[in-house]
Amino acid sequence: MFRRRITLTAAALAAASLALAGCTGQSTDQSDQATLSVDLDNLATTTEPGTAPVDEVKWNLPYEPMSLDPQFGYNYAENTATANLCESLLRMKADFSIEPGLASEVAQPDDTTVVYTIRDGVTFWDGTPLTVDDVVYSLDRQVGETATSYFSSYFQNVESVAATGPNQVTVKLTKPDVLFTQAMATAAGAIVQKAAAESQGEAFGTPDGGLQCTGPFSLEAWNSGKSIELAAYPDYWDGAPLVQKLSFSFIADESTAVNALRTGDVDGQYFYLPPAGLSQLANSDAVTTTYGDSLVFWTMMTTNFDGGLGDDRVRQALSLAIDREALTKVVFQGAGIPATTLAGPAYWGYEEEKFQQAWDGFSADPDIAKAKELVAEAGTVPPIVLAVQGSSAVHEQTANVIQAAGQAIGLDIQTKVIPVEQFGNLYFDPAAREGIDGFFTTQYGSFADPTDVYQMFASTDSHNYAGWDHADEDIFAARSETDDAARADHVIAAQQIITDELPWLPLAYEPVTLVQNNRISGATASFAYLYAPWAATLGGVE
Amino acid sequence: MSVGLYLLRRVGGLLLVLLVTSFLVFGLLYLAPGSPLAFILGPRGGTPEQIAAVTEQYHLNDPFFVRYAAWLGDILHGDLGYSIVYRQEVSTLISGRVPTTLVLVSMAALIIAVVGILAGTYAALRRGWGDQLTSTLAAIGLSTPSFVIGVALISVFAVTLGWFPTFGSGTGGVDTLYHLTLPAIALSVASAAYLARITRAAVLEESGREHVQTATVRGLSPQHIVRHHVLRNSLVPIVTVLGLTVATLIAGAVVVENVFALDGLGSLLVRAILQQDFAVVQAVILVLVVAFVVVNAIVDFLYTFIDPRIALGSRQ
Repeated sequence: MFRRRITLTAAALAAASLALAGCTGQSTDQSDQATLSVDLDNLATTTEPGTAPVDEVKWNLPYEPMSLDPQFGYNYAENTATANLCESLLRMKADFSIEPGLASEVAQPDDTTVVYTIRDGVTFWDGTPLTVDDVVYSLDRQVGETATSYFSSYFQNVESVAATGPNQVTVKLTKPDVLFTQAMATAAGAIVQKAAAESQGEAFGTPDGGLQCTGPFSLEAWNSGKSIELAAYPDYWDGAPLVQKLSFSFIADESTAVNALRTGDVDGQYFYLPPAGLSQLANSDAVTTTYGDSLVFWTMMTTNFDGGLGDDRVRQALSLAIDREALTKVVFQGAGIPATTLAGPAYWGYEEEKFQQAWDGFSADPDIAKAKELVAEAGTVPPIVLAVQGSSAVHEQTANVIQAAGQAIGLDIQTKVIPVEQFGNLYFDPAAREGIDGFFTTQYGSFADPTDVYQMFASTDSHNYAGWDHADEDIFAARSETDDAARADHVIAAQQIITDELPWLPLAYEPVTLVQNNRISGATASFAYLYAPWAATLGGVE
Repeated sequence: MSVGLYLLRRVGGLLLVLLVTSFLVFGLLYLAPGSPLAFILGPRGGTPEQIAAVTEQYHLNDPFFVRYAAWLGDILHGDLGYSIVYRQEVSTLISGRVPTTLVLVSMAALIIAVVGILAGTYAALRRGWGDQLTSTLAAIGLSTPSFVIGVALISVFAVTLGWFPTFGSGTGGVDTLYHLTLPAIALSVASAAYLARITRAAVLEESGREHVQTATVRGLSPQHIVRHHVLRNSLVPIVTVLGLTVATLIAGAVVVENVFALDGLGSLLVRAILQQDFAVVQAVILVLVVAFVVVNAIVDFLYTFIDPRIALGSRQ
């Protein structure tokens, strides 16, 4: 079946697909979900590095990026592309630990001062050397109240960014901020060439204006609507990649994407939610599917605390009535993990034992009797309206599961379908949220620190639509606590309040689904693919 | 009417239609709920200060007439404007997508004309089970959504047989024709079925006419009668329907473009409407209106060839 060395996960899958090879008839009946045996306890972070040079690898993105300027890349397609183009001061490794990137050294003489030493011998694609001016420019443009960077919330405590030596940049903070320091390993810390960005202005990072960064691949062409083409940068400081040309297509339709992967028209793709045709990929001899460690979680947000979901007891009852084990099997075809808290084990980048102990105190087991008691205590509950994203099986099926759970305990839950292009308006247009009590969404923190997830519940955060503020004290304390042990205590305290009161219902943790054609291997399997050059290790299989 | 005068009248009419359409579209979009903010500020939203700054920068809160006048002024200078969602010139967005749409629609129009007219004529002349079969197929073709046909075509001809690529518009020339074959078929099925029905009805009606019966009695060969007396007279309704169908194909291609991941105008338009990307919506609609008027003019010219009694630009 597989004629090469494969990772643990792939081996488990190979066994699964051998077991499934007996049933050749492709089931098109949605209710008959083939559950794959995914080893969720041993999710991969890497795949076997490729060893042979490859002329071209064709990769698919779930949609066309809006921009390739890293400050406007805070979403799957954008980050999948820019991760290979623009490098950050720090580099996120596949296991989410952080190592030096374009900064060869980081020093913190005190809690509010961060000094970055810029790596020697780094050049932009046009051959000009990376300077402190480029670094200052790239960070400084994201600072300030009217900065348009999608990452501006990470820069809210930055007082100044300045060159303090020929190869040294110093960031002064108004107060300690562990989110800023860790965000430098994400696209927030990506460095672009000052000269190119200034001369192109708004066109920088678009098909009109091009891009200038230091990554292992350079931007060759962006044919609007059709493709993005990258070429290996031969003078890359960390060794030129094996793949000579990396081209991206934009197939949005899942079944077409799956078919293109099966025929080899496309060599690979990252799915952040398992596609409907997952079993076809698992059964295919042409591709290998790897499930990777991820920071993505699936949740139901409460957006209106004055309606049916306003009473804590109603949300607790609903949470107790949901069979998350069944939900992961039905909705995610087995490629999902029942979630008890919003930030799962993948986030424990420090103080793992403390987090584990706290996490063990929560359970995902349904308890219908207790749920009914809570609903009875809450009294008359008005109908609950949930927004569901159109043309998304995961949304629709989850809504069905939640409706059934509500019915079982006497809650009237209704759904309202919103087209995918307009779903984004829910995130900050109060008018769009009119008449809606909650909606489903995938969310993720950007690095392995639960502080980044629970920060969304700070009353000042743009995610916090309803002004829920019951955990502010610990959330703010955690953000400015540089001592890991002390920070873990604050995070755990905030997590306790948030998981008890459930402003958002945790539903599932979502592994990365990485699909690679068998002629290639080496792409990063973990969620770090969004921020570190995942194609640098990609190559042919000999 | 002379051709010169006819064209002058057409161009004048076109400009008027463009003005009215642009005003209506702008107004409707203005009244529609939602805003492009979601796509400018990114998936994480923004602070009130950021929202205010962006609203100011792109004049999102300016009165309707101020915004419309600004857009109209740009158009008169030959500037299609700027897509605030994609941060690029609308002309770039559109020019990249026109060729794909043009080839796709042309191929589909060819398939619709050939298959529709042949099948309809066959059904009308054959009667009996041939007619039954064609009518049944037409009914199936009319009632099957194009995305179902698209997915079925991909799984049979691309995945199982490997004859065609699964997606995309190719690299130009023959490669593009090859890539767009399956999408063109998927796009044309429903319209071809519809045209077959229209053709069948028109041919049947013409066959029953007096001059046809006269020709039959005079012993002219059946082929001659069909070609010169039946088909030629049936062509007026057929061409009318074909013209209208082709003009609507551009927007109708959205579903097929999505299934085959094509960079066409249809999907660009739908996305732009949902994202409230004014400049893009306006530009695509203008292209559609121009295409519609051009196709109609072609149909007008065809009438004069089919039936010499119809004068160019007459209102019969």
